[in-house]
Amino acid sequence: MTTRKMVFIDTSLCTGCKACSVACKAWNDLPAEKTQLLTSYQAQGDFTPNTWTYVRFREEYKDQKMHWNMIKVQCFHCADPACLKACPSKAIYKTESGYTLIDREKCIGCGYCGQNCPWNVPKTDTKINKTSKCTGCIDRVENGLKPACAQTCQPEAIKFGDYDKMMPIAEARLAELQLTNPKANLYGNQWMGGTTYLYLLQDRPDAYGLHPNPSTPIALTIWKDLVHPLGGIAIGASAAAIACGVIANFVRGNYANRAKNIAESHDEGGH
Amino acid sequence: MQKLVYRFSKGERFVHWVHGVAFLLLLFTGLGVLTIAIQPAMNIFGGIQVTRNIHRVVAVLFTIGMIIGFVGRGEGARQMRRWFKDVISFGKDDFAHAKNFGIEFFGGHKPFPPQGKFNGGEKLNSMITILGTLCIVISGYIIWFAPSIPQWIVQWAYPIHSACALFMGALLIAHLYLGLLHPDSNQALKGIFNGWVPAKFAYEHYEKWYNEEAKETIKE
Repeated sequence: MTTRKMVFIDTSLCTGCKACSVACKAWNDLPAEKTQLLTSYQAQGDFTPNTWTYVRFREEYKDQKMHWNMIKVQCFHCADPACLKACPSKAIYKTESGYTLIDREKCIGCGYCGQNCPWNVPKTDTKINKTSKCTGCIDRVENGLKPACAQTCQPEAIKFGDYDKMMPIAEARLAELQLTNPKANLYGNQWMGGTTYLYLLQDRPDAYGLHPNPSTPIALTIWKDLVHPLGGIAIGASAAAIACGVIANFVRGNYANRAKNIAESHDEGGH
Repeated sequence: MQKLVYRFSKGERFVHWVHGVAFLLLLFTGLGVLTIAIQPAMNIFGGIQVTRNIHRVVAVLFTIGMIIGFVGRGEGARQMRRWFKDVISFGKDDFAHAKNFGIEFFGGHKPFPPQGKFNGGEKLNSMITILGTLCIVISGYIIWFAPSIPQWIVQWAYPIHSACALFMGALLIAHLYLGLLHPDSNQALKGIFNGWVPAKFAYEHYEKWYNEEAKETIKE
């Protein structure tokens, strides 16, 4: 039996070295991409089909003091993912370990998953029509190893383990941090059915550029749970109505009458 | 020979068929993308990626077909604009006709006031088609060019696109029935191919139009 896993990211320990993003590229064989410096320390601005994790840097000045918020971001691996609901090819699935994965064989590259993800994580390569995102290093994890990012993290800001064992560790760490940092909070366990990647933040989520209130888009629920069943019913009802219409017309003798009328009108024309 | 009157100009017939054939192709290829159950059928086009490109090419033809029908000074464009004007002016007589739709649909008959070139039922069908076409075209281009459009707009474009496709598909089934299988209304079928419909049919279904316009075109 595989148990539910957790990757716990403690931003208070992160030094912003970006080794996690390098380890991810190395293990997953992802090519380097040309980037440009966006802020004083950040060159990667968003996920791409070949960049599944990167470190975001935010500088905030408060009371003459600089707060340097840094956070490693990747797919959250939601327990109840919007991407999975949005995928028309049923290419996205959950594993027992709590991971959300894309089956590349089934993926058609429509990009509906990325558009419906509250964090806009999955990215589609329009040249090959495939969508990619963090796999949580499922290939390593299923073979008893840590994800590449967790393995490489020097300050041990990325911890990996069973969900049930990691949750108390995260809560204890939160209590510890709150002594000096009253704004500290856990981010992930309360969203989207509980995410596999859980964060300890030192400040409110939007200070890290994280969605403050992520949820399944209402439009997605309406699309899949309302429009599709009602549309199917409409088509079925329409087909049933015409079947009844043909039978009703036949029973009323309208087809026979019509043939007679046409014959008569031709006769009239003949005179 | 049966007496005939002229009902549909070349322009109207052209727009009808571009719209109809394109819609069928778009519905079929679209369902292939939307539903995993239908996706394997897309192999007849050479796979899902070819299908997605066909959907885009036909979508452009669908859009162009809709627009060019209304442009210009020809008889066809004039009639198209007239159709649009007629359709958006829905009056008491139109309602009186449309409310009997269910009875007529199942082969019954109830008298209705004299109708213009387009009767109440046709006007309703046209209104839904115009509105549905606008919504499906706009939402379609939003989905196509999603990466450069705000995410919340794209998210709403999906249910709108699906709803238009499925409900217009349901309407199309009824439209095909009335045109092909319904013993009374399918007398008009030839009109959408060559423009001419039986004079007697025109008189019975569009008395006002027959007396004011169609009568003058009568031929054997």
